[in-house]
Amino acid sequence: MRRRHKNCRDQGSVEMNLAAMLDMAFQLLTFFILTFRPAPIEGQLALNLPSPGIVDRGVPALPLQRLVDEQPDLEILHLQVVADPSGDVKEVSVEKSATISGPLKSGNLQALERNLQAIFGQKHIPYDRVQIAVDGQLHYGELMKIVDVCAHQKLADGETIQRISFIEL
Amino acid sequence: MSEMNSDKAEPNLTPLLDMVFQLITFFMLVINFKGASLDMSLKLPVLGSARPLEHSGKLEPLLLNVDAEGNVKAGGQSVEIEPLVAREASMLKEQLKFAGTPVEGDGTLPVTVIIRADRGAPFKLVNQVITVCQNHGYRKFSLSAMTKE
Repeated sequence: MRRRHKNCRDQGSVEMNLAAMLDMAFQLLTFFILTFRPAPIEGQLALNLPSPGIVDRGVPALPLQRLVDEQPDLEILHLQVVADPSGDVKEVSVEKSATISGPLKSGNLQALERNLQAIFGQKHIPYDRVQIAVDGQLHYGELMKIVDVCAHQKLADGETIQRISFIEL
Repeated sequence: MSEMNSDKAEPNLTPLLDMVFQLITFFMLVINFKGASLDMSLKLPVLGSARPLEHSGKLEPLLLNVDAEGNVKAGGQSVEIEPLVAREASMLKEQLKFAGTPVEGDGTLPVTVIIRADRGAPFKLVNQVITVCQNHGYRKFSLSAMTKE
């Protein structure tokens, strides 16, 4: 005991054994490397969907202009999407008026966007929500392309559409 | 001279330890504990208007993965949707009751359901999941999508 004390004092410095700490640190590092999974870059589309009993399932059969004239308090713009057997879009109708037909390609999406812009650009039309009646066979990815177009639309007050809902045909 | 005479060579481990601790710090900061509940095999739809989820409050959202066949995974495991949602809703109501803020009125639960559905899933399968959640009082939904291809 006495000799060790003397040795330490002779050396003038205390040297810790870092090997054990390094072992532990490497084990921790290995754990973190093996469990490392970077978070995917995902976005979210927030929807407030009421219970099925509350959703308006009635799709108006009147032409758009007549509908607006006769129902000035109209709030819901109805879209209807029909799918082909392979799950792609066959036809998209806006207020029962066929807007695009065939699979959703850039031309068709632009046509739908122009159509919706024309509708929402009319300040006297009080739409503030969109309800999409969707064919059950339609692929979810195709539906989301249509939702994306709808979500881009701006209301008369400059705000983008927040209220989008779905029902199954 | 005395170092040269010593029997063993002791490398200076301090820089190595510094570097390892820096790496550990980096991995600790970027670790994603919720990653286990995400089904990374799903091909999410692309939605340019998708935004990061604004999550505030103590209540964790309910995350459901729906593959192209309509199978639902939650917490990394395949589950039956009806019992799972019923159990989650029941537990949430108990939790809210215990916290002194019981569910009132129409029974709307103040928790968001995050749905990560494969882009190839038929809408009716995704809609079934949404309908089950609606039937148990969930009203706030968040559909996951990639912001770009």
